[in-house]
Amino acid sequence: MLFPLAWMVLAAFKTEVDVFSTRLLFKPTLDNFRAIFSDPILLGSHIWVSALVSFLTVAITVPLGAAAAYVLSRHRFRGRESLSLIILITQFIPAVVVAIPFFTLFRSAGLIDTPIALVIIYLSFTLPYAIWMLRGFFDALPVEVEEASFIDGCNEFQTLRHVTVPLVMPGILVSAVFAFISAWNEFFFALILTRQNSLTLPIAIQSISGPRGPEWQQLAAAGLLVMVPIMVMSLFIRKYFVEGITVGAIK
Amino acid sequence: MKAGQLRSGGLRWMLLGPALVVILATVVSPLVSSFITSFRDWRLIYSPTPGAFVGMDNYTRALSDAGFLNSLRVSGLYMLMSVTMTLLIGLGIALLLAKPTRLNVFARTLLIFPFAVAPVLKGYSWRFMLNPDYGVYAKMLGAVIPPLKGYLWLGHEFSALLSIVMSEVWGWAPLFALMFIGALGSIPGETTEAAKVDGATSVQIFFRITLPLLAPVIYIVALLKIISAFKMFDQVAIMTGGGPGNSTQTLYYYVYQVAFRNLDMGYASAVSYILVAIMALLAFLYVRVLLREH
Repeated sequence: MLFPLAWMVLAAFKTEVDVFSTRLLFKPTLDNFRAIFSDPILLGSHIWVSALVSFLTVAITVPLGAAAAYVLSRHRFRGRESLSLIILITQFIPAVVVAIPFFTLFRSAGLIDTPIALVIIYLSFTLPYAIWMLRGFFDALPVEVEEASFIDGCNEFQTLRHVTVPLVMPGILVSAVFAFISAWNEFFFALILTRQNSLTLPIAIQSISGPRGPEWQQLAAAGLLVMVPIMVMSLFIRKYFVEGITVGAIK
Repeated sequence: MKAGQLRSGGLRWMLLGPALVVILATVVSPLVSSFITSFRDWRLIYSPTPGAFVGMDNYTRALSDAGFLNSLRVSGLYMLMSVTMTLLIGLGIALLLAKPTRLNVFARTLLIFPFAVAPVLKGYSWRFMLNPDYGVYAKMLGAVIPPLKGYLWLGHEFSALLSIVMSEVWGWAPLFALMFIGALGSIPGETTEAAKVDGATSVQIFFRITLPLLAPVIYIVALLKIISAFKMFDQVAIMTGGGPGNSTQTLYYYVYQVAFRNLDMGYASAVSYILVAIMALLAFLYVRVLLREH
């Protein structure tokens, strides 16, 4: 099961000759990393585009999602359940349907190949997802804690700031990680909305191909750079990982 | 005193408002927009603005479009293969790691990794490993089954689709296993012990006790996988580009081609709405199951 992963990790440190041999022993080298970083068209700037796009997506998704999730969990008002349900259902919308109007819109607005376009379109799936996941976290928090704070004379805003948000912090972190992962790994939208200036890593690694097909050892090194941050983050939220996916990470 | 009394309506819309605006702008309005486009003739190569309304033409065109019908068949076949294989392999891994020994608990941690790998990387690593000249999997399979020596996995219709299925099963089966392990943990040990005392074989225990108790989880994850199967795009783009011929052209990939290669926006919108209809049916089932669970 871990074999393809192990292969990629090893290949990242191999020379071209070693990649194509099935021998187990080889002399590790850092040349591949040097190559992909020194050549500007390979990875140089793309890693920053990816980081920027993912970071902005998280920075908008998490506060907006948490605020909405709080209201949907704690406030009683008409249409609350239908609203939650509509938000869940948006998770099932195939990205390609949303992509068609966005593509024509961004084209006429001159936003194709900009990080902004990617962030806007990524919000279409990270935000509804974050709201659903965070609603679960707010629902799991006993309402009595907040009631005690109200009795102590705090208003709703103070309670939210000093009691509710700190208690639901693990949930906020989990939703941040999920939003980051989906933006960082995203391929489809990045493929249609970028050309050369705002290529994210999943798209940029396609350019790693020599005259005889992909330079596999460099591709593996680039893959490792894409993979490692996500692996580390997944480990942090291990406890919530499976649950998070059943809630609606259908992408 | 009830907490609800202290929650203000003003704050409610202040907190909910921004998220609703973003969802309206990024999900609802594009959905409405492409629905309208699906009734228009709009080829982006000829005109930057939408063309005339053509009624149901785009939809009826799909019914006689060989490319579309083929993609429907490919997606269906892909869905059947990937769902069955993910379920079986996931269940196998779960049963293997069910006992909470130290080694098993460690192994379970590793199970989340394949799912977290970007689909693009899944595609590339499988493409490499299935290469007949230097791919490890291709060589191993060739050694075990001699007729498969030097076989072009991505060059034949069925095996290309199977390869894409494998790349996806590799990511999902461990995840399914994690869900099954969770469910297995909630089965009381006494039940199986009692059955053993009564002389039940392990096969009987599996089919009479374990499987029925796992059924609700199986139902949920199978639906989840069916839904994701209809969204298969990334590995197709990386591993085969829809080929050989059009044998791996999933519905999703077909819409992509019509929309962003042929720039036939009206027709692409109509086909994408057929995909939406399939999704809506699956979403309906999923939400019903999910809500019953909670």
